[in-house]
Amino acid sequence: MKLSRRATQLMLSAMTLILASILVFLYLKSSSEQTTYSESRDLIREIKQLNSQWDSEVLKARIALTHNYDPLVAPLKEINDLWAQLERRESQNTHEDPARWQSSQDAYRQAIQEKARLVERFKSHNAVLRNSLAFLPTAEDDIQAQFLALTDGDKLLQQSIATDTYDVLLSSLEFAQVTSDDKAADILVGLNKLAINKLSLPESFQVPVDILSKHISLILREQPVVNDLLERIAAVPLAERLDDLTNQLNQDQAAADLLDQKYHRYLLVFSTLLVALLLYLAIRLLRSFAEINRVNRALHVVNENLEQRVEERTRELKDAQGELMDSARQAGMAEIATNVLHNVGNVLNSVNISAELVTRKLRTSKALGLGKAMQLINEHRRDLGTFLTENEKGKLLPDYLNQLVEAIATEQQGLTEELAQLSKSVDHIKDIVSTQQSYAGASTLLEPVHISALMEDALRMNSGALSRHHVTVVKHYHDVPEIMADKHRLLLILVNLISNAKYAMSNLTDRTRQMTLTVLPLNDGTLQISVKDEGEGIPAENMTRIFTHGFTTRKEGHGFGLHSCALAALEMKGRLTAHSDGPGKGALFTLLIPLDPVRT
Amino acid sequence: MSDATPRNVHRSSWVPGLAILFWLATCLPVMAAPLDEPLKPLPPIPQLDPATVELGRQLFNETQLSVNNTKSCASCHDLQTGGVDNQPFSLGFDGKPVALNTPTVFNASLNFKQFWNARVDTLEAQVEQVVTSPLEMGNDWKTVIRTLSALPYYQATFQQVYPDGITPATVQNALATYERTLLTPNSRFDQYLQGNTDILTLEEKYGYQRFKEYGCIACHQGANIGGNMYQKFGVMDDYFKARGNPTEADLGRYLLTKDEEDRNVFKVPSLRNVAVTAPYFHDASAKTLEEAVDVMFKYQLGRIPSAEDKTLIVLFLKTLTGEWAGKPL
Repeated sequence: MKLSRRATQLMLSAMTLILASILVFLYLKSSSEQTTYSESRDLIREIKQLNSQWDSEVLKARIALTHNYDPLVAPLKEINDLWAQLERRESQNTHEDPARWQSSQDAYRQAIQEKARLVERFKSHNAVLRNSLAFLPTAEDDIQAQFLALTDGDKLLQQSIATDTYDVLLSSLEFAQVTSDDKAADILVGLNKLAINKLSLPESFQVPVDILSKHISLILREQPVVNDLLERIAAVPLAERLDDLTNQLNQDQAAADLLDQKYHRYLLVFSTLLVALLLYLAIRLLRSFAEINRVNRALHVVNENLEQRVEERTRELKDAQGELMDSARQAGMAEIATNVLHNVGNVLNSVNISAELVTRKLRTSKALGLGKAMQLINEHRRDLGTFLTENEKGKLLPDYLNQLVEAIATEQQGLTEELAQLSKSVDHIKDIVSTQQSYAGASTLLEPVHISALMEDALRMNSGALSRHHVTVVKHYHDVPEIMADKHRLLLILVNLISNAKYAMSNLTDRTRQMTLTVLPLNDGTLQISVKDEGEGIPAENMTRIFTHGFTTRKEGHGFGLHSCALAALEMKGRLTAHSDGPGKGALFTLLIPLDPVRT
Repeated sequence: MSDATPRNVHRSSWVPGLAILFWLATCLPVMAAPLDEPLKPLPPIPQLDPATVELGRQLFNETQLSVNNTKSCASCHDLQTGGVDNQPFSLGFDGKPVALNTPTVFNASLNFKQFWNARVDTLEAQVEQVVTSPLEMGNDWKTVIRTLSALPYYQATFQQVYPDGITPATVQNALATYERTLLTPNSRFDQYLQGNTDILTLEEKYGYQRFKEYGCIACHQGANIGGNMYQKFGVMDDYFKARGNPTEADLGRYLLTKDEEDRNVFKVPSLRNVAVTAPYFHDASAKTLEEAVDVMFKYQLGRIPSAEDKTLIVLFLKTLTGEWAGKPL
């Protein structure tokens, strides 16, 4: 029962645990990585922003709005940092299509590498291009200054050379704005003209013209490169790659949302089930409460009935106990009667013996010898004197008669003694019978009692058995005044105790069978009467039971004895206790009764 | 009497205005707005973990980083001499000269990439390459870790600073962290950029103006005055043909990319502290600032400056020298 309850408890807690973990699992599953996607998308959005910023910085550098190239370096660094963050973040996340995600990542990496490479090139080429373009007017001014410095020569030729120079400068500047093959051809023609013109110009023109030519050829060379780089930079599909990644994240999120929804639904269903279960359990609980109440009420009714019945039974039991007491008393009386008859029988035996002895003695009496002597005398009546003096036989006769007188006197004394014994035995019988008569049917009336006399009576009632079993009785009677007591019950108890003590020692062979009777008045107004034997003792386990009804250790015992004794003691407002040091160590029964001296 | 009160009110309203004006006038030189120039002031020195920085400093001066205990970082990047050793080519662990002139370690963290050919992106990677370079420290990381682990100072300090203890990554990080603090603030030109325009002499200001006018700023601009782009050495003329004795190192980024476009392309070096980091260029070919300016004009700008302008520019370049540990370099 206990085990099964524990098992039920275990099962219940296991069930609760399982349900709770399912709930937690579903809850966690349904509220998953929403933030991760949005954070990743935020990172990509930031990268896109930086990319746009980068583009605008490139354009600013292109139109020489700024000479500082740091803003073209910074975005790439930030983009790479953000990308590293994204990679770290996304390496922990699962994607619907990992291969596609991987390839998109690779495509992005390729794009950013390509763009970084192109931007670096752009920086280098743009720097020198801008420099030369900025320098062109100055270079042209230097040449014009040389012209102004000339004082002589062919003004017309000089004029045309100056115009050519100016033309090529303009073409170059135009070329910077509209880079076309036509313009490139124009510039090439202009450069050739400049080279030819240089020859017809003075020495001082050589260096400025050379410088101008060099810068113009640089522009011719670098401008298409820069334009091409710009186009290629614009063509790098970085934004598209990022959009692709964002799309994938969106798809992943949609998938995750779908999964979330699924789990939400599961959670809903599970919660509903749980609620239903709880409702069911609540109903069950209410029902069981009702059941318990009903049972309780029924139990109450039954209880009341039971109480009545118990009362009835108690009454019955009391009655039965009363009957039992009566029968116990009867049994006690029967025991006493048995004892009495036994003792009477014993005494009758000695009466019988005495009578037989007397009979035998009378039968073999010497008085017969007197008859023979008288016969001799009668034969010799006439000559009695002679006969007595002369006759041989007659001479012996007086002596014989003397002897006979002596013998008859002895015989008479013996008979007298034997008859005294006989009458004593008869007195004994009379005593026993009268004792029995004095107890039989005695009421509970208190009467003056001599305890020691009562003890003797009790012993006498058992005397036959005691002598038969060779029990030595040791008496320690202290002086006790005559008390008022229920003589009958006291005797019943004493007879029983003595009888028990005797029985207890019936199997004793190794030591003398000694019974000690003690009468001791105690200071607190009680009288202690104890019967101690050296017999088989009482085992501890029997100690508590010996006074109960029906308990006996004897084969032929009915178990009423001590029980009725205890009851009798109680009826006398006294107490009967037993003590034993254990099996084989004898027993001590002590009766305590109120010491109530006779008032004179 | 009746109109006295409004007059008082009127006065009390313009008195604080006057006070503000006066205050503005007196504070103006101090509160001057930074100038918006292609050259940018040095950023503030980053506040990094002092324990890590100290560990990096120890490592920076640790000769046991080299395979034969002869060279520390400081051997070539001497902080007392502008973060360089002023040699045309520093000597490696075996006493043989390396292929390129040693760039200064000062402000290196502001360069967009490291080395002359800009082959690595980070200071950590730079450390990695120098330690294992067969020309420089000639070591390998296994040996470095073993050597450092045997020294109680590093054993204890690394455990304190890094959960991982002594690893190649933590050694590199400690060194790079220290190097990030190696900025040289307070150059006179920085003070000028921050608004203290009186700090430069008129010549120096002219020099800066010429620097811009001639187009030096096309490449040498930004916070590090260079160090943020690649450029071909010899835009206007073939420098290497003129110099002769072409070496492998002259190829620049071509060595990395094998792209013809990258032939002779180098990282534009920073001009900060340029006055104290001679000799110049990757090949250490220019012994003085003047020589270097000449080369730049001829091969990069394709211009012929006046002698006066050149002097002015050199004067300007000398204002770029900053301070280290409270002392001018």
